Amino acid sequence: MTASPAGEGSTPRPVFDWLIWLALAAVAGAYIRAIFFTPPEALQGYAQKIYYIHVSAALNAYLAFGVVFVASIVHLWLGDVRADRLAEASAEVGLLFTTVVLTTGPMWARPIWGTWWTWDARLTATLFLWFLYASYLVLRGAIDDPHMRARYSAVTGIMGAILIPFIHLSVYLFRTLHPMPILLKPSAPSMPGDMVETFLIAWVAFTLLCIALLRARYRYGELKERAAMLEAGR
Amino acid sequence: MMPDTTAYFHAAYIVAAVLYGGYTLSLWLRARKLRQRLGQRSSRG
Repeated sequence: MTASPAGEGSTPRPVFDWLIWLALAAVAGAYIRAIFFTPPEALQGYAQKIYYIHVSAALNAYLAFGVVFVASIVHLWLGDVRADRLAEASAEVGLLFTTVVLTTGPMWARPIWGTWWTWDARLTATLFLWFLYASYLVLRGAIDDPHMRARYSAVTGIMGAILIPFIHLSVYLFRTLHPMPILLKPSAPSMPGDMVETFLIAWVAFTLLCIALLRARYRYGELKERAAMLEAGR
Repeated sequence: MMPDTTAYFHAAYIVAAVLYGGYTLSLWLRARKLRQRLGQRSSRG
């Protein structure tokens, strides 16, 4: 197995650095823009603004689980422990973003659909994705041997990510209450220009937050491995 | 007339901020605890 850069000799890197402050400032900017400088939609009222944080979270959950997929393949192929560490970090961050999706979605659905939850294809598949990656993290905590842990969780990580295209296409494949894509579709966006701008700002800000948290969680993983190595007396 | 859905909008933005902030804080606390453990180990030699 490839040597880990979290080895004993070097000084551990700080978990948080300038990137997290930049990301938090960007998210604060996106919040201000969405709350104070974007008009509410005429039919849905202010609840439509949930779209900016809900869809940004969903796209970043896809991104994070996509990283788990690629890193897990790289780990199985090359046996690189850094890829396993990246997959673990990305799964945790992806789970955070999916939790935001699953909590903000019902807050939009209650006033618009008249119900907090419905068992339609996209909602159910997203909940299933959440449980899959929650069990991925439980699995990691349950296996002591690092090689076995990395291999089993890589397989679970790849299987989980296969669900993502299905979730994205579920609104086309099944009869569902969930709205069709407003922006990510071949035709022109079904939103006015200033709302599209707000969404793009929110998307960039939350992507920055996703990357900053991913980097911080990766470095925390390095620190954890260093502590484990020291405690094992190696 | 535009429906009054402001409460749901406020609640969603607050919940998202709490989740992101809570996770960031938990990561910082976990890292601090680990650093303290590492520091104790290295000071014991």
